[in-house]
This record gives sequence, C-alpha cells and structure tokens, in this order.
Amino acid sequence: MTILDVQGISKSFGGLKALTNVSFSVEEGAIFGLMGANGAGKTTLFAVIAGQIKPSGGSVSFRNRTITGKRPDQICRLGISRTFQIVRPFAGISVLDNVIVSALYGAAASNSHAEAREAGIAALEAVGLAGSADKLAGELTLSGQKRLEIARALATGAEMLLLDEVMAGLTPTEVEEMIATLSELRRARNLTFMLVEHVMGALMALSDRILALDHGVPIAIGTPAEIAANPDVLKVYFG
Amino acid sequence: MTKLNLDIIGGPLLVLAGLALPFAGADYLMGIAFNLAMWIALTQSWSILSAMTGYVSLGHVVFCGIGSYVFILTNGTLPMPVALACAGLAAGVMALVIGLPVLRVRGPYFVILTFGLAELAKNVIVQIETSLGQFSRLIFDAPALDTLYFIMFGLAVASTAAAVLVRHSKLGRGLVAIRENEEAAEAIGVPVTRLKLIAFVVAAIIPGIVGGVLLLRTSYFEAAQAFDPVISFSIVTMAIVGGMGTVRGPILGSLAFVLLSELLWARFPQLYMIILGALLILFILFMPRGLSGLFERREARR
Ligand SMILES: Nc1ncnc2c1ncn2[C@@H]1O[C@H](COP(=O)(O)OP(=O)(O)OP(=O)(O)O)[C@@H](O)[C@H]1O
Ligand SMILES: [Mg+2]
Repeated sequence: MTILDVQGISKSFGGLKALTNVSFSVEEGAIFGLMGANGAGKTTLFAVIAGQIKPSGGSVSFRNRTITGKRPDQICRLGISRTFQIVRPFAGISVLDNVIVSALYGAAASNSHAEAREAGIAALEAVGLAGSADKLAGELTLSGQKRLEIARALATGAEMLLLDEVMAGLTPTEVEEMIATLSELRRARNLTFMLVEHVMGALMALSDRILALDHGVPIAIGTPAEIAANPDVLKVYFG
Repeated sequence: MTKLNLDIIGGPLLVLAGLALPFAGADYLMGIAFNLAMWIALTQSWSILSAMTGYVSLGHVVFCGIGSYVFILTNGTLPMPVALACAGLAAGVMALVIGLPVLRVRGPYFVILTFGLAELAKNVIVQIETSLGQFSRLIFDAPALDTLYFIMFGLAVASTAAAVLVRHSKLGRGLVAIRENEEAAEAIGVPVTRLKLIAFVVAAIIPGIVGGVLLLRTSYFEAAQAFDPVISFSIVTMAIVGGMGTVRGPILGSLAFVLLSELLWARFPQLYMIILGALLILFILFMPRGLSGLFERREARR
C-alpha cells in the first residue's frame, strides 16, 4: 500500500531550479533511498515533504491526504518526522528532555508526563542513547547527536521517518552500528523510511528502492541493483 | 531534591514574611516591600515569555502603561477591583493583537521591535492626552498603603505561581524547545506560533494589573512616566542578575535591586542607568547564571 505519494514537485530558489518535476511513491514499511551529488536537491525534497519549504508546484499526499500547504507541526502530527542533516539538538536541555518534548507534541501526543517520559526512554533505547539520557544534548558527540535526531523523530510516534544523512561524519564502525540500528527499528516498529546517504554501501544495503536526482531532475528510480546498472546514473557518477 | 527542599522551606517563609510585614507598622518598610513585590511581579511575568522562549522583550513596560491608562479611564466609573481586572484584560488583549506580527521576528530584531513598539505606544498615548488637554490625571480615592501592598504582594505571588506552573507544564516544555531551536521544535510537532502567542498573552496580564495598582500608589497618571522605558530596562537587568534558569531568579534579582536602590539610588539617582549597565555587563560576562546560579552550585556540591 502506498503511504507517501509525491506528484510533480518543483522548487526554484530565485533562478536556481532545486527540484524539477519530481514524482515517486513510497510503499508502507519500505526503506526508500534518495541519492544524488551535493546540491542535487535531496534536503530540499525532505523540507518540502515535511512542510518547511513550500514547493513552486506539485503536491504531496500522505495516506491519501494532501499535505502540501500544511505547517511542519501539523505534518508531524499526521505521522511524518524528519531529521536535520546539520543536527539541531536542543543543546541546553538534557537528552531525555529533548525526546520528551517530541512525545508530548508529536503524532502520538500525550498530555501525561509519565507517558511521554516512557516513550522518550524507549526512543533513546532504540538508538542506543539510553546511557546518555541525563547528559546535556550539547555535550553529545556528533555520532550521539545524529542518534538524538533519530530518537527525537522516533519519539513523536511518527509512522514515517525522513533521515537526512544520519551517517555522514561517522566512523566506519559507527556506520555499521547505525545500519544495524535502522534495520532493527524497521523490524521492531513497522516504520517507513526515506533515507538520504552519501555512504553508497549503506544506502544500497538498506534501501528497497532508490530515486537518483541530478541537479533536481529525477534520472532513475528502481531497486538498488537496477540503479547500480543504470547507464544515466553511471554517467552522472562516473562520467 | 535539595533544590526542592530549599524552595519548600524558602518559598513559604517568604510568603509568611510578606504577609506579616504590614504588622511591623513601619510605612517606610512597607513602601520598600511594595516596590519589591512590584518588581517580582513584573520580572516573573517577563520571564514567562523571555526566559522561557528566548524572545527577549525590551518593551515589557507597554503592558503596565496600557494597564495604567485603562485603569485611569475606568476607575471611578467602575468599582476599583473591576477597573483593575479591565487593566489586566486590556494588556492581555493588546498582547493578543500585536503578538502575531511581533513574534514573527527573532533575536535582536525582536528586542528592537518590542522597544520601538513600547515607545510608539507611549507617544500615541501622550498625543491623545495632549489633544484632550490632559497633562496628568489625579486619583483621589486611593486605598491606604497596606491595602495596596497586599494587592501587589498577591500579584507577586500570582506571577511567581504562574511562572512555576508554566515551567512544569507541557506548555513550558514546548517553549523551551522553541528557545533551543525553533525549526526543530516545529518539526517535532510543537505548534510554535500558538505557544509563543499564549506565552505573550499570559506574560502581559499581570503587568497590566500592576500598572493599575502602581497608579493608586503614585495617585496620578502621566503617560511618559507610565510608559517609561527605564522600567523595561530594569526588568531585563533584574532577570539577568537574578538568573534566567529558575523561578528564583526574578525574586533574587528584584531583591538585589531594591536593596541597592535603598542604599544607593535614593541618594545618587543619577547613577541609576550607569549601575544598571555595569551590572548587566558584569553578570552577562562573569555570572551568566545570575545570583540563582550561586545556589545551584552549592546544591550541586552537596
Ligand atoms: N533556502 C535556500 N535558498 C537558496 N538556495 C537554496 C536553499 N536551500 C537550498 N538551496 C540550493 O538548492 C540546491 C539543492 O540544495 P539541497 O540542500 O537540497 O541539496 P542536497 O542534495 O541536500 O545536497 P547535500 O548532499 O550537499 O546535502 C543547492 O544548489 C542549494 O544551494
Ligand atoms: Mg542535503
């Protein structure tokens, strides 16, 4: 069943066409990968889906409901949550308090602090941050802050997570751990993911389907094997 | 735990001292306590918006001023308590109306905008009063000082209670998320515009009533004085000196200021702005957690 349907999304920043007529759909429970060089428009596409950027044209629907034009907090409460490529922790409060806010306000919004705390702790455990719950978020390492991004998105109770380069800047061991974490999340929580990664091995290993963007233009869509064999993709990546 | 103990003992002690004070029979003392209660009420209300969300307002006096003006216009026609309620309500409505556009800008722009708006409001009221031929309006039927003191004391307690409640509520958690990173807060479902507006309105009501009570104490209304920007500067300085991280901060900051003013400013009023500026710089540079930071360090060591 289709959970997310993106139709003809375009976005220009002044004269720059960041996205040109991008269409695709994501099946429930899938991991959908996005690839493309720096500046290809991957983060912009996430921001359009999550409501931070209004597209110049096209529409996005989630569970057959049009979400284009809705505010980011409304879209989050409908069940989509994104992470930020450049991490945005609530640096001055504890790691646990970071995720409690998500649980209080997200899709599974709860008015009970006890419930929110439980959901928050569960999210921290899922990404391996439970041991740092009482630290200030600003004191985490980069790898920790990337995990916190995921935990905060998770704690909203979202059904669909948009993860923007959560492996960038991590050591190879940390990348392995992150792949294991994501696989486990998908298995245990029945979530749908969109992934942006420059770590090609990880993207190929995790994704069911991949969309390749070149300067905002979709050039190929298919399984990892199809993408790896696609002549257009090879041309863009290897000249 | 220790922090809770300190508040559980210290809080009620302060309240008891405040309630017992008029029975000491010294008007001089009660005048000081009136000022202290007023600054606590104002600074505590300011902190609900500014310390919680990081939207630092330099125009908090505008709510006092509006409260004063509405009070002077309604008092006499309406019973005093009703006129005071109107003052608070008017300030709240004003916050609701200007909140949406004002809270769209952030950081230094918000600081400047709030300052500018307060000055604008002052000049508008000054113009209205001038065109009406009113240069200052007098109040003749003001209650005695101990009554006024009790009202102001009640406002200080109410303002502090509101700050405590907001800090420990879902609303407060949302406001802190806004302060830490507004885009990230919105991305996890925090309705940022609505929460900021709620905080703005809640923060405005008590200063509105304070404005009315203050008139009863000075017994005349003069627009330039009711909207004096020095009141806004003082509030911000007290909040920073006391510390923005806890509800104790505004109490400690106000206490320090009222003491200082008794010791110094009564004799050297021309030093007021200089000392205000110096304290601000010293605390921001060397004690960013303010006076309440001292307590926290002690508690942490134990
Ligand atoms: N707010 C903005 N204003 C103007 N231009 C922007 C804005 N955001 C992105 N761009 C431009 O749009 C293009 C796409 O940017 P985007 O961040 O989506 O790329 P990306 O695929 O995420 O790249 P990277 O792999 O480096 O993260 C870039 O040329 C970028 O400079
Ligand atoms: Mg990007």
